[in-house]
Amino acid sequence: MMARLHSSPARPGRQQRTQVSGRRAGTQRDDTPKAQYSFAEDATPLWAPDQVLGVDCGGVKGSAPFMALAIAATLAAGIPPAVADEPSIEITADIPNLHEEATSAGIDHVYGGPWEYFVGGGVAAFDCNADGRPDLFFAGGKNPATLYENRSPTGGALRFERKAIGIDDTDLRSVTGAWPVDIDGDGRLDLALSRVGRNLLLKGGPDCSFALANRAWDFAGGRAWTTGFAATWEDGADYPTLAFGNYVDRSAPGSPWGTCHENDLYRPVDGNLSYGDRTPLSPGFCSLSLMFTDWSNRGAPALRITNDRHYYRGGQEQLWRLEPGRPPRLYSASDGWRPLKIWGMGIATGDVDGDNYPEYALTSMGDTRIQSLDPDADEGRPTYTDIALEVGATAHRPYTGDEIRPSTGWHAEFDDVNNDGLTDLFIAKGNVEAMPDFAEFDPDNLLIGGWDGRFREAGDKAGIALDRKGRGAVLADLNLDGMLDLVVVNREAPVSVFRNPGVGTADEPRPMGNFLALKLSQPGGNGFAVGSRVTVKIGTRVLTRDITVGGGHASGELGWLHFGLGTSERAEVRVRWPDGEWSHAYRVFANQFAVIERGEPAAAYWYPADEPDRAAQRNTAADQ
Amino acid sequence: MSRAPTAAFRPAAAALLAALVCTVPPTAPATAGDPWSERELGERLDIEALDLSRPDHRDALIARGEHLFSAKFTTLDGAGRPMATQAIVPTKRKRPVADAFQRMAGPDANACASCHMDPVPGGAGPFTANAFVTEGFESADFDSLDPQFSNERGTNHVFGSGLIELLAREMTADLQAQRRAALNEARRTGEPVRADLATKGVSFGRLTALPDGMVDLTGLDGVDTDLVLRPFSQKGVMTSLRQFTVNAMNHHHGMQADERFGARWTGEADFDEDGVAGELTDADITALVIWQATRPPPGRRTGLAPDWQAMAERGETLFAETGCASCHIPALPLDSAVFADPSPYDMAGTLRAGERDVLSLDISAGLARDAQGRLLVPLFGDLKRHRIADERRDTLGNELLSQRFVDRDVFQTAELWGVASTAPYGHRGDLTTLDEAIRAHAGAATESRARYEALEDNEREAIIAFLKTLVIAP
Repeated sequence: MMARLHSSPARPGRQQRTQVSGRRAGTQRDDTPKAQYSFAEDATPLWAPDQVLGVDCGGVKGSAPFMALAIAATLAAGIPPAVADEPSIEITADIPNLHEEATSAGIDHVYGGPWEYFVGGGVAAFDCNADGRPDLFFAGGKNPATLYENRSPTGGALRFERKAIGIDDTDLRSVTGAWPVDIDGDGRLDLALSRVGRNLLLKGGPDCSFALANRAWDFAGGRAWTTGFAATWEDGADYPTLAFGNYVDRSAPGSPWGTCHENDLYRPVDGNLSYGDRTPLSPGFCSLSLMFTDWSNRGAPALRITNDRHYYRGGQEQLWRLEPGRPPRLYSASDGWRPLKIWGMGIATGDVDGDNYPEYALTSMGDTRIQSLDPDADEGRPTYTDIALEVGATAHRPYTGDEIRPSTGWHAEFDDVNNDGLTDLFIAKGNVEAMPDFAEFDPDNLLIGGWDGRFREAGDKAGIALDRKGRGAVLADLNLDGMLDLVVVNREAPVSVFRNPGVGTADEPRPMGNFLALKLSQPGGNGFAVGSRVTVKIGTRVLTRDITVGGGHASGELGWLHFGLGTSERAEVRVRWPDGEWSHAYRVFANQFAVIERGEPAAAYWYPADEPDRAAQRNTAADQ
Repeated sequence: MSRAPTAAFRPAAAALLAALVCTVPPTAPATAGDPWSERELGERLDIEALDLSRPDHRDALIARGEHLFSAKFTTLDGAGRPMATQAIVPTKRKRPVADAFQRMAGPDANACASCHMDPVPGGAGPFTANAFVTEGFESADFDSLDPQFSNERGTNHVFGSGLIELLAREMTADLQAQRRAALNEARRTGEPVRADLATKGVSFGRLTALPDGMVDLTGLDGVDTDLVLRPFSQKGVMTSLRQFTVNAMNHHHGMQADERFGARWTGEADFDEDGVAGELTDADITALVIWQATRPPPGRRTGLAPDWQAMAERGETLFAETGCASCHIPALPLDSAVFADPSPYDMAGTLRAGERDVLSLDISAGLARDAQGRLLVPLFGDLKRHRIADERRDTLGNELLSQRFVDRDVFQTAELWGVASTAPYGHRGDLTTLDEAIRAHAGAATESRARYEALEDNEREAIIAFLKTLVIAP
């Protein structure tokens, strides 16, 4: 289904940001085609709509619907409209006016440190005090990691309170990343912390309290430089299989060049809550992120690892086959796996092309990759092709400012930030430290997905183009207003916390499309149903999301699963539970927080304690 | 109080229209203003310049709405939807259709008033004006009357619809406040709280609020799980006049409103690909909404002959005694008759409160008030859904398709105000007498119907005589 768009290339306009492409000398690239953009100069618009059309409507606000009519009418007549002071017509969907408010929210945290902390810098978003609001745990690098409890009023300005969590200061330092996961199956989320040094497992207690559980769970933690973590429940297991992604082996001779640490897999010993047995995943190629993913829709999670070519020799991206009770095995060329060498920093997964198979965004230096199963390859083989150029998501260079040097990408996340029912892509960007061949001012990307299957940059208009070195990040609805907020951890700079007030302002939020927030629950150890596939049917379209622990860059999230529904007011939700069983269809209304408990006939709704009173709005409106 | 402009108002309204109008640019040889023009849309109002506290502005808006309701839209206006289905969510067809008009799947009309016309524009429709309702997702292009493909529905009147929407808004606010109170109590006490849901004397079942914020909705009765009353359409599944207007304009005429089908939600200015973009603006939909909302409520026939008067009084008493009035409630109280557009309960795809300055006007229409000063809306309904058919008597359960999560044999209580002006009866308009319609009641209405059947002949006649006094004002 090809939607016709009323935009065309090289349209003059102030908002148009295009760059000249070119290969920089000495830059190692793959053979994939490079983005070639035409160069459009800023130009004064040829005419203003009211001059050509004789429309005089008076009033500033009144021009908006007539502008749409004017533009539309002239398009119908084949005359290109002027876009003088109007937003670029390339993105017709809503662009959220993200409002940075870390200071007023009470969040004051910096991730930093020497060389080992050029990478890492993660945030975990999860509800640790059972009030339905996601709380935030930040890695600090040489600074101690911090936990902030979420006290934001529903729909209001963000507010957080720092909380001490009863872990030794030494253990809270050297943390690179954090992921929420219920390891012991008690229904309360625990934390996995990656560190430069011993990795930690923290058992979650009531009211955001935590206790070190390495000893209790026989987890030694190792001594590696770790920034990646992923967890999955293998078939029939009560406890999760844990994977840690390790970077450079600093103790090996010749380090760091060509000296990558192997990665670690920990399966519960004899099915018990014990991680005393470490399975090395070798060879390691200096991984910065890894993720369990059901790439083939067969219900079996494989482990995808992204690796940094800057330090490896003879390395590539990796996909490990995982069968319960058997040692993990790498997919190789004979299985259809194509070698890919990138400066792999982060992995995001989402169904970009709507074919019900997951795509993977792999951040890197220069081009971001969007890996999609090659339609020409045999079914059931992990043969991937890159579609980033085709979908406009290479994001290889800063989209604003004077930089023509390439970007450095870190965290990536697919989610619907404008609730129009189409997935968008966020990428955290920032120079490694002071690498001269790469952009210094390197703003984070917000790529808005369009009906033509392409992404378009909106980072500047959304207000996230800050001069900070972005690393880990998370998109989560922090104030339960149905709109995703954004938290970015920056290297040697304050954490950025962006509230999403929709298409309104910080003082007067205005909603965008309809939304649905879902939580799954099932009995047994994997109570949060990690590994489930959730499908949401709206009209003739089906939105698909997987519940995963891992990926991103050093960052993780487990809580409300967010869907934008556009203009749909209802949806039918089906769940493929981790054991492969499909649920019946659950009927839900839009703009609700819905909980699906396995086996229950209907979804239940949840409401925050300070749910806003729509009737009050009605009375105010009627009095005008 | 607002009524449709009489002939005396029209010249003034027309002059005012000229002042409020934004001239639409010509893109065809005949300009919109030429008297021979085949464009029906006419000149648009400037919604920002409207001040509904001024009677002349109000009249102009209502006149505009009346014009649009009766306008026979043409292809020049954008009538037709070659590449879009009738679905209320913008949905593309796989391939264009051969016929511009198609009786079943639509577009099936080029004017609202072609079906909503009995006894006057805004009224109901005879069997010939039935519509065929489907979701419009899969099998959108059907050409069969077979109930497998669509639900065949009679055309309802829209008189008093503004008051109905106001009742629904107040009842929604009440139910949601009751849910909120139950949750607050549960959180405070740490114990589950069971709350009976009732508003304006109508019960909607119960919910259980849990201390962790979860709500058990399995005990709800006759209302959607988000506790929003949706009082429009036969099944009670459409939220507001505005939402319904946007739906119907697309379904029946292929006229697509920007607020649903525009580029903001679809990426395209001309979603139905009929060559016309921006077919209906905010101002157009607002005019239609306000016109419908200001249609006066149906009332009672006056000047009855003494024997009819006596029969009707007896019938009205029996109507209550048999239990008909338990669902066909004679009147519901309304706290405020100020109709505000947009509605606070519409979702994305229909203009929402906050997306534009609110326009409001009083539509109390000279109705009586109760002892507490609340307006009594004489709708003879309860805005609640009930099961109305069962295996033994399934005349009113003749549909095969559920609609928007509502089972096929569940319908909203039909408002009986105006019933005497809008034969035939039943949701398919296939029952020619009131007596047949009453006898068709089953399911939740079984007892009341049985009591009616057990009455004496002249008692049943009295009830009919009473119902025959409920008319749409001439």
